Amino acid sequence: MKAKISLILPIISVLVLLLLMPLVLKNYHLNILTEIIIFALYAVSYNLLLGYAGLLSFGHAMFFGLAAFVTGIAIIHLKGIGMITAIFLGVFSAFLAGVVIGSLLLRHKGSYFALLTLAFNALFYAVATKWHSVTGGDDGLNVPRPELNVIFAKIPVETVPQFYYFTLIVLGIVILFVWFFTRTAMGKTVLLMRENEERMKFIGYSTNLSRLILFIFTGTLAGLAGAFYTLHFRFVSISAISVEMTTVVLLMTFVGGTRTFWGPILGVFVYIILQNYLSDITDRWPLFMGLIFVFMVLFIPGGLSGFIMDMKERVAKKREVALEGNQL
Amino acid sequence: MTAYLEIRDVHKDFSGLQVLTGINLAIREGERHALIGPNGAGKTTLFNIISGKYRPSSGSIIFRGQEIAGKPPHVINRIGMARSFQITNVFHELTVFENVMAGVRSRAGLRYNFFRRPEANSYLVQKVEDILKNVGLLDVKDIPASALSYGQQRALELGIALSTEPEIILLDEPTAGMTREETEQAIKLIDRVTKGRTLIIIEHDMDVVFSLADIISVLHYGTIIASDVPEKIRTDQRVKDAYLGEG
Ligand SMILES: Nc1ncnc2c1ncn2[C@@H]1O[C@H](COP(=O)(O)OP(=O)(O)O)[C@@H](O)[C@H]1O
Ligand SMILES: [Mg+2]
Repeated sequence: MKAKISLILPIISVLVLLLLMPLVLKNYHLNILTEIIIFALYAVSYNLLLGYAGLLSFGHAMFFGLAAFVTGIAIIHLKGIGMITAIFLGVFSAFLAGVVIGSLLLRHKGSYFALLTLAFNALFYAVATKWHSVTGGDDGLNVPRPELNVIFAKIPVETVPQFYYFTLIVLGIVILFVWFFTRTAMGKTVLLMRENEERMKFIGYSTNLSRLILFIFTGTLAGLAGAFYTLHFRFVSISAISVEMTTVVLLMTFVGGTRTFWGPILGVFVYIILQNYLSDITDRWPLFMGLIFVFMVLFIPGGLSGFIMDMKERVAKKREVALEGNQL
Repeated sequence: MTAYLEIRDVHKDFSGLQVLTGINLAIREGERHALIGPNGAGKTTLFNIISGKYRPSSGSIIFRGQEIAGKPPHVINRIGMARSFQITNVFHELTVFENVMAGVRSRAGLRYNFFRRPEANSYLVQKVEDILKNVGLLDVKDIPASALSYGQQRALELGIALSTEPEIILLDEPTAGMTREETEQAIKLIDRVTKGRTLIIIEHDMDVVFSLADIISVLHYGTIIASDVPEKIRTDQRVKDAYLGEG
């Protein structure tokens, strides 16, 4: 019971805090927070691969970018399309890409796997660049935000706070589900993949099927983040599907730390805030971001969450020692 | 009793190196079968083929009426076979409990489920704890497998093999690296926890082998040179020449 309260209390406090944010924050900051929530889902899905399954992928942006484009293109070309249909089409395309690419990558491990994901991402990027008439190429696409109709009610999502709430509620629920997922049978199976892919076969698990399911699931989640990305910025360009978009999520996840569920979310928060702050004060912000990451990788390899967990453990140990001292 | 696991003329070569050259073996249900033979004889390779890790170069393996040669390990496991490994092969960063739960829930069909939490199922939890109690690891169930002592890791290796409730269990040198005393303890444990199952065990300690096994097979340079009850094996001239005489 105690453990449950200590888990649920922080989650509820964060949720309440996020729900109150539009009362305190100006639109500029609320926009940043919306972006943080979108990237939080993207990073959480990436960490299921990196932290939970131990699979280093350089191709996560293909799912994110594909859904971002499909959502945008659907809105532009299908007259009168609703928000839910547009999101669904984007997510569904990422799902299909997960099925196809997942099937092709089943048997590959380690650096081979990483290189193949990179190659696929490059392929997607090349197609998006060449297919200028549909994707807009370098210029990108301006994407109006369609109407959100739930059953018979029209829910307004035009203003910044409105879209913030929409994002928070939908993606918040999905992120909570992913957290729940990590404790379900399949979530635990993902850990077996990281710990010992050989051994799990001999207790009845198909590693191919496990890998495929995980790939489809994480791809679909990244797709949902991608669909919201287009809706949020009302714009999508080839940068959404570029390899940089994968390295960004890799960095965010790494900065936050891969060993906890919330680490990547913290990573996204720090990354985006830092990026906004630095880009306000200097044009050379990428240089400073780079330096900060080099420092982090060298000195805090467990990421921010790893660092926090270490500190917590140390404090707990000290307290124990102090208690024992008192008893003696 | 009829043959329950039948190995027919199994060959294996690794890019030219002939490791198994025609293995024939019939194992009856409930039998305790010991596989002995000098290092490099091909014992582990035979286990690897029976359990699906490798495909045989030729030959056939019938288990419970089904051809299993060349089938993947997870399929063979679900037909009712489990194995342990000569070199400890566990889920290192997971707790002892989670290590055994992995097999218990697999057996219950909770492998890829997105909605059910195995830990919330008291029936499965009870099963895991029963197995841990059986192999003497209940006290350390919440520590990571990597923090176990060597002997405890060997016990966990056994626990994982038992976790899918196999009908037949293959143990590859479960007492490797143990002292005499530890070996005796371990064998008592193995004898107890594998009651009612068919057992094939690779073991080097001859006293253990002769006291535990119903049938002993001797593998020498890729073939079975003798397969019989312990008394016969003890007096078999070929076995003496090939193997027992050395030690
Ligand atoms: N995967 C493999 N590739 C090449 N050679 C192997 C492989 N596995 C085993 N061998 C060889 O097969 C022979 C038998 O090995 P093994 O089955 O481990 O013997 P045992 O378990 O009886 O000591 C050894 O010469 C070993 O080097
Ligand atoms: Mg061996």
